[in-house]
Amino acid sequence: MISCTEFIPAYNELFKYLEKIGGKSAVVDFWNDLSDTFLTNLRNLIVENGIRGCWLYWEKTLSEEAADFTMELDEESGEFSITMHHCPSKGRLLEYEHIEPYPDYCEHCDVLYRRVLEPLGFKYDLDRSQTDRARCRLSVKALDRTDEFH
Amino acid sequence: MPKQILTRKAADHPYFHRDFHIALNDGIHYLYKKFGAGAVREYLTQFAEAWYSPLKKSLIENGLTAIKDHYEEIYQIEEADFEMQLSEDELIIRLFASPAVRYIKANGHPVSEVFDETVAAVNRAICQNTPFDCEMCDYHQENGGYTLRFFRRME
Repeated sequence: MISCTEFIPAYNELFKYLEKIGGKSAVVDFWNDLSDTFLTNLRNLIVENGIRGCWLYWEKTLSEEAADFTMELDEESGEFSITMHHCPSKGRLLEYEHIEPYPDYCEHCDVLYRRVLEPLGFKYDLDRSQTDRARCRLSVKALDRTDEFH
Repeated sequence: MPKQILTRKAADHPYFHRDFHIALNDGIHYLYKKFGAGAVREYLTQFAEAWYSPLKKSLIENGLTAIKDHYEEIYQIEEADFEMQLSEDELIIRLFASPAVRYIKANGHPVSEVFDETVAAVNRAICQNTPFDCEMCDYHQENGGYTLRFFRRME
C-alpha cells in the first residue's frame, strides 16, 4: 500500500502524468474536480461557521501535515490568512534528491481553494512568489460583511 | 471576538495526514473514469519508478530484505495488522486490512474499483528490471487486505 506519508510524491507524479497525456488543461481539469469532490469538508465548515471555517479547516490539516506556519483570524474585519514559513509539501519535494517537483505544483492550492471560497463570497489571494523556498501567503477576505454565512 | 493568531512549527506534530488517503483515492478514481484502467496502471508505474527508485536499488543490492524493511516501516506508521514470511528467494506479505481503505470508507467515500492497482501495479514496477517479481495472490475489496508474494525470477 501507499502510505499517506508518501502522498506528496504520488500527487506530484500524477500532475506530471496528466500533463504528459493531456497538457496543462488536463491538470487543471483534475484540480477542479478534486476541489469539488475532496474539499467538501472545507465548504461545509465555511457554510456553517463563516470565515472561522477557514481557521477550523486549516488548523487541523496543517497540524497533521506538520507545517511551519502562522495563521491569523479577524472575524470582525472578515479576514483570515496563513503565512506559510515552510510548506511541508513543497518543502519535501525540494528535499527529495530523486524526485523532480512538477513545475506548477503550488498552483493546485490556488485553484482548489479559490474554487471553494469565491462562490461563497470571499476574496482569495495566494502569493506564490516564494514557493521556490517552500513559502507562500494565503489570504481570505469576506466581500460582503452583511451577508455572512452562519 | 479579538483577533486570533496561531503559530506552529513542523516539529509540533508528527507528519501523518490520513485525509491524503482520500485524495489519492479521488485521484485514482478520476484517472479511471476519464482515461481508463490502463492510465491508472501507467500512472502508478511512473510514480513507482520515480519514488521507489532507492528501494529498487536496495532490492537489487540487498535482496528481499529491502522490501520487508520498507513495508514493515510503512505498516507501522499506518498502524496496520500484518505478517511476513521471508526466505532467501521468497517474501510473503499478508496485510489483514488496509488502513487506507478503512479510512476512506470510514469517512463516507466510495473506494475506487481499481484501488487495488495501488498495490499490484506499484509492486510490479518496483520489481521491474530486478532479479525479483511480485504477484498479488489475493485482494479483499471490502477492507483492502491482500497477500503479496515476492519471489526470485527463474533464470
